[in-house]
Amino acid sequence: MTKYIIRRLLYMIPVLLGVSLIIFVLFNVVSGDPTAVLLGKNATARQMADLREQLGLNKSLFLQYLDIVKSAFTFDFGYSWATKQEISQMIKQGAYPSLCLSIPAFVISTILSLLISVFVAYYRGKGIDLFVRVFCIAGMSISALAYILFFQWFFAYKLGWFEISGFEEGFPNFISYIALPAVIWIVLSIGPDVRFFRTVILDEIYQDYVRTARSKGLPEIKILLHHVLRNAMIPIITYVVIQIPSLILGALLLENFFSIPGLGGITLNALNSSDFPVMKAMAILSSVGYIIFGLISDILYTVADPRIKFK
Amino acid sequence: MKSLVLVFCGILMLSWGCSKDRNFDERELHLISPEKIAGFDPIQVSDQYSGNESGKVYEGLFEFHPLKRPYELMPNLAESLPVVSEDGLTYTFKIKKGVLFHDSPAFPGGKGRELKADDVLYSIKRLADPKLQAKGWWVLDDRIAGLNEWKDKNAPLEASNYSEEIEGLKKIDDSTFTIKLKKPFPQFLYALAMPYTFIVAKEAVDHFGKEFLNHPVGTGPFILPVFEQTNRIVYVKNPTFREKFYPSEGEEGDDRLGLLADAGKKIPLVDKIIVDIIVEAQPKWLSFQKAKADLFEIPKDFFDSAVVGGKELAPDLKSKGIRLFANAQLDTTFFAFNNDDVLFKNNKKLRQAISLAWNRQEANKLFYNSSAVEAQSVIPPGLGGYRKEFKNPYVKYDLEHAKRLLAEAGYPGGKGLPAITIQTRNETVARQMIEHFAKNLEKIGVTIKVGMNTWPELVNKVTKRQHQMYTMAWGADYPDAENFLGLLYCPNSSPGSNGSNYCNPDFDNLYRTATILQDSPERSAMYEKMNEVIAMENPWVFGFHRTKFYLSQAWLKNYKFMEFNHTQFQYLSVDLEVKKELSKKF
Repeated sequence: MTKYIIRRLLYMIPVLLGVSLIIFVLFNVVSGDPTAVLLGKNATARQMADLREQLGLNKSLFLQYLDIVKSAFTFDFGYSWATKQEISQMIKQGAYPSLCLSIPAFVISTILSLLISVFVAYYRGKGIDLFVRVFCIAGMSISALAYILFFQWFFAYKLGWFEISGFEEGFPNFISYIALPAVIWIVLSIGPDVRFFRTVILDEIYQDYVRTARSKGLPEIKILLHHVLRNAMIPIITYVVIQIPSLILGALLLENFFSIPGLGGITLNALNSSDFPVMKAMAILSSVGYIIFGLISDILYTVADPRIKFK
Repeated sequence: MKSLVLVFCGILMLSWGCSKDRNFDERELHLISPEKIAGFDPIQVSDQYSGNESGKVYEGLFEFHPLKRPYELMPNLAESLPVVSEDGLTYTFKIKKGVLFHDSPAFPGGKGRELKADDVLYSIKRLADPKLQAKGWWVLDDRIAGLNEWKDKNAPLEASNYSEEIEGLKKIDDSTFTIKLKKPFPQFLYALAMPYTFIVAKEAVDHFGKEFLNHPVGTGPFILPVFEQTNRIVYVKNPTFREKFYPSEGEEGDDRLGLLADAGKKIPLVDKIIVDIIVEAQPKWLSFQKAKADLFEIPKDFFDSAVVGGKELAPDLKSKGIRLFANAQLDTTFFAFNNDDVLFKNNKKLRQAISLAWNRQEANKLFYNSSAVEAQSVIPPGLGGYRKEFKNPYVKYDLEHAKRLLAEAGYPGGKGLPAITIQTRNETVARQMIEHFAKNLEKIGVTIKVGMNTWPELVNKVTKRQHQMYTMAWGADYPDAENFLGLLYCPNSSPGSNGSNYCNPDFDNLYRTATILQDSPERSAMYEKMNEVIAMENPWVFGFHRTKFYLSQAWLKNYKFMEFNHTQFQYLSVDLEVKKELSKKF
């Protein structure tokens, strides 16, 4: 297993080189010269030329590419062009609120969806199954924005149960700020999660080993929880674990509407202000996240199914 | 399942328990900033919202009078207005004595020292420092004798040499200095009231290094020990702030409005300012209604909820004592032609035809609740050069005239005219406005397409002249029409601020002559002439001068709209009795 992990970690090198190349091409070919944006509406041609020089945009394309590769491997992203803040500091400051919102919301929504899926799989084909399916599809058909606007108006403003917007650090201060966006996150996630988990569980429920278990007289709930769920774990693990890097990047819409100063907002600002170092940092971090969590999900396969061996 | 429901209920209870109600007993000011704050380095503060934050902790030599209109400069850190030499080039300034910087670890013993003339000269040099690439450099670019040369000389060096003397910046004693200009620059004092020229202490810049933008150390009425990129900024009253008093004079009628009730009182008038950064319209609106903000700019989407019939405050808001302010802005919106484009360059009639085909009255109703003023040319009302009686014959909805001009331009019924793309930024309202424009132009046979861009993409297209038309709004940097007329001055063509690349030698000559004159009837007459020349030429399709609508809570005192409001917040006050009385209603 150690060899496998090392090999997978070494795969990061070509992946990061590729990601760096894509970032480089996108920035140099698609987005063009950022200096006019960075210097504001009164920028002069001379000043733009000077800034290009200072930002290293006059260097050869190869050297510019090397700069990206260097930061991808050292995680030294330097300073933001737009805010002049140290990027590692910005990420550290933004990660805390983002994670305060995303981790509890993600954990609760995943557990809740799994429980509902098992429940409806148990009552498959019955009225409650149909009701949950209709509910999920109806829930998914409503725009996230509609949930946000309604929940914020009704629960925070009309009922006053939650803060309308904002964020405070430290437990339990942040609870009143993240509770409502977390509830919305859960509501938004339940539809697609339940549909996926239910399908995966139902795929398993018609397998031979389930029939064997039933013929041996095992209770249906035990079959579902001990056998079916365990065998359905591989696609569930893949589905769940691969979402984790996106949690770190924050929930853009929720953060924006609830004024949570997380990484989603930082990324959006960077896009709007041609802040290449920040965009670069976020792209690199997310690809590293995907590689690492991909590896974690592979390792978890062996826990879920001991027949899987790494070669 | 039962335990999960219990956990969920527990979270709700905890959340409920932790919800904070507004404190109605403190002399605090609650404000909303609709945009993130980039930092507190004055030379990099290029947007209004960051400027408003900097103005709470930093100060400049001058500031705009909070009550007098038209806008009038008054000394802030300067003792008085400067003495200007006969040739209008040398300005002698005296700064106030006894002004202290905020206490900071940057100073020996942590105690803020007295402001000196050296600090002003250092702050100006900093704006020119080639290593810092200040966003505010344009205000002094090519203005002060020797400053551009100093900038060029230091560009190749590892670090800029601040000890080098500059011809145009001379210290006379600790509180006196002179600034010598290269050529007359009547707007110079305005530049010294802008956030770019706020005064910083060298010790603080050196001590905090690259982190200086997060550690504001100014002389201003409020202090902010550390700025963090969060959603809330909390300022507290500066205990070492000098004796500064609320003005005892204002505009006619200010007394009646209670704006002089605090005359002669020491400022700042509140102990704390809390600024919440809320970007989206709904949470801003709901926060204001819950009394979590004292002042609030009404977003377009909530206009009808707040204002009835376009003028009156909604009864539910009125019952809470909330007040409505409608304020004409110093801005102009426009659709600019790229006058460098072969289609528009020598075809004034085509530009005029397009202008005549746009139903502005309908657009005003749709996008500005009929509150905006139709722009006849580039200069907005409130600035010298604007003449209320002047009507641009091409700023009206006249389809027949538009069709005639289009035919004369060589495109009868729009035949032979390719589709025109208007570039804009990715904003719903901007897109809707172009769609409205396109629908109107269709009636004379002109096809308009929308080009949506991120802000960087739009700026790129305009600076590289890769556009046919684009739409934008320009807000005044200072109260002088030169700031608007410069948008059509040929030497400012792309990548400069003249994104329409309009060139007219007669206009340029007038611009060169007028903009070095001091404010006078003669200069105003020249501005008027330039404004009218531009109106007839139609290098833009002129849009609107917009009106901003603000709501203020009943307890907020001394609020009067200011276009250049960086220093306004120290004059605002809170009536605690009214606040306590009304608290039950929120």
